[in-house]
Amino acid sequence: MTEPANVLRPLKAGWRTVFRVGWPRTDKDRAAAMISSFFLHVHSAKVKPNSLRASYTLGLGLVSFYLLMVLVVTGVALMLYYTPSPADAYRSMKDLGFVVTFGPVLRNMHRWAAHAMVIAVFLHMCRVFFTGAYKAPRQFNWVVGVSLLLLTLGLSFTGYLLPWDQLAFWAITVGSNIAGYAPWLGDDLKYLLLGGTIIGPGALLRFYVLHCVILPGAAMTLVAVHFFRVRKDSLSAPPAPAPAPVAEAAPGRFPASTRSYGLMALTDRPAQPVVEADPDEDVMAWPHLLHRELLLLLALLVALHVVSLVFNAPLEELADPTRTPNPAKAPWYFLGLQELVHYSALIGGVIIPTILVLALVLIPYLDRTPHGVGVWFARERRRANWIFGVFAVVAVILTLVGTFFRGPNWAWVWPWTG
Amino acid sequence: MKDPKDSGARTDNEQTRRRFLFTTGTTTVVAGVVGFLGATARFLFPNVLYEPPSRFPVGRPDDFPPGTATFLRNQRLFVFNGDAGFYAISSICTHLGCNVNHVPGDGFACPCHGSLFDANGQVVRGPAPKPLAWFGLSLSPRGELIVDEQRLVEPDYRFKV
Repeated sequence: MTEPANVLRPLKAGWRTVFRVGWPRTDKDRAAAMISSFFLHVHSAKVKPNSLRASYTLGLGLVSFYLLMVLVVTGVALMLYYTPSPADAYRSMKDLGFVVTFGPVLRNMHRWAAHAMVIAVFLHMCRVFFTGAYKAPRQFNWVVGVSLLLLTLGLSFTGYLLPWDQLAFWAITVGSNIAGYAPWLGDDLKYLLLGGTIIGPGALLRFYVLHCVILPGAAMTLVAVHFFRVRKDSLSAPPAPAPAPVAEAAPGRFPASTRSYGLMALTDRPAQPVVEADPDEDVMAWPHLLHRELLLLLALLVALHVVSLVFNAPLEELADPTRTPNPAKAPWYFLGLQELVHYSALIGGVIIPTILVLALVLIPYLDRTPHGVGVWFARERRRANWIFGVFAVVAVILTLVGTFFRGPNWAWVWPWTG
Repeated sequence: MKDPKDSGARTDNEQTRRRFLFTTGTTTVVAGVVGFLGATARFLFPNVLYEPPSRFPVGRPDDFPPGTATFLRNQRLFVFNGDAGFYAISSICTHLGCNVNHVPGDGFACPCHGSLFDANGQVVRGPAPKPLAWFGLSLSPRGELIVDEQRLVEPDYRFKV
C-alpha cells in the first residue's frame, strides 16, 4: 500500500497540466496566473488603481458583458424547446411557461436580461462619453461600441418576434414597415428582412436565424475586438492623483499588514510602505480586479434571479394578423422612435435615426481635443457634455412618452388615469 | 534569400514574375470573394413566396347588402356596397401596416399612430403618407366577387354587378 502522498502525486501533476501556475501566492505567480490562462489573459497582470474605482466606470461595460453571457446561456437553453414556425412557436412558449421545469424562470431571465442589456449598454455609452474615454487612442473602440449598441438593439428586436403573440406580431409589423421607408432601398430591405412581403413563416425563420446565429456571432466577435482594444490601450483612467500620504493608501493598494484588508490580505507579499510603491502605482489584477469582477457577477446574478422569480415575462394571445391591438406599440426601447414616427415615418423613422447614428460614430473624429480624459463631466468638456446630455435626455423623454403617455390611437393619456 | 540573378538594377516599375503572379493571384482571390458574396446576397431574396394569393374571391354579391361596409378580417380589407356599386378598400394603414378601424359615416382611424382617413380612404390627419389602397373588383364565372390586390384603382371606382 502506497503512502497517500504518492497517490496524490499523479493527481497533482495532472492538475498542474491544466493550471500550470497553481494557486498563486506571490505577485510573480499572480502575474503568471493571469498571463498563462486563456480566460484570464484578457486582463493585464497589473491595472491602474484609478481604473478600478467603481465610481469611475460604474462597472457598466462589465455588466453589459455579463448580461450577454446570461443571454447566451439562457437563450441556448430556450432553443431546445422552441420551434420557429408560426404553428408551433406560440405553443412552445406555452410549454416553456407551464410544463417545462424552470421554463418560466429561464424565459423570464432571458427577457429581463435583454431589457437590462439595452439599458446597460446605453448607460455604458453615456459613461464613456461623459468621462471623455473615447479620445485618442481609443477612437475606433468607440465606433466598435456604437456597433455593439446597434447589435444589442437588433438582437432584442429580432427576439421580440419569436413568441409569436400579439405583442410580438404588431411590434414587428410596425418595426419592419419603418425599414420600408428607407429611401431607394426601403422595399428591398423589408423584403430581405421578412423573406417576403408579409410577416409569415419566412419572416419568423429569418428573425430566428438572425437572433440565434448571425447577430450573436457578430456581437461576440465585436465584443472580442472591443475587449482586445481596451486591453491594448488600457482602460481609460483618471490621471493619478498626487502621491497619497501614507495614512490614506490609494484604493486597492494596501500594505499586507493592514488589518482591514481582510481576506484579500491572504498574501505573502512582503509588507512594504506605500511610499515605496512602484512609480506607476499599478496594482495586481489578481486579486484586486478579479475580486471586484466576481463580486459584480454575484450581485448581478442575484438581482436577475430575484427579478425573474417575481416578475413574469409577458405573453399575450396568439398572433392575429387581422386584429390590431389598440394601441399597437413597438418594444419599449423603440418607443422614442415610434413617437417620432407618429409625426413622420420618413423623417422620424429613417432620417433622424440615421443622422444620430452617424453623429455617434463620428464623435471621436470630430472632437479631437485631448482634454478631460478620465474625469466625469470635465470642465474643459462642458459644451460637449451638454450637447450629448441633451440628446440623451431627449431620447429618454421620448421613450417615456411613448411608453407611458400614449394610449389608444396614439392619443395623449396620463398614466395615472389608466 | 536574394535572387542570384537580381542585380539590383531593376526599377520599381519593372514587372517581375513574382509581382505579376502576386497581382494575378490577389485579383483572383478578391474577384472570387466578391462573386461569392454577390451570389450569397442574391440568394437571400426568395423567388417564390408561399403567401396568400393577391387575387381571391370574397363571396357572392348578395353577401354584401346594399349600403353596408363589410370588414373581411383574413383578407384585411373592407367591401362596400354603395349606391353606385361595389368597391373595396384596404384596411392596411399606409403608415406602418396596422389595421385601420372603420368609423361608420366618418371614415377610418388607425389605432397605432392616430392617422385618420375620410370615407374614401383619403388622409385627413397624418402621419399616414398615402391614402388607403382601393382594389379592383371583378366577377368570377361562378358569380363570386373577386378582389385583385395587384390592380389599384381610383376612389371614383365602382363595380356594377
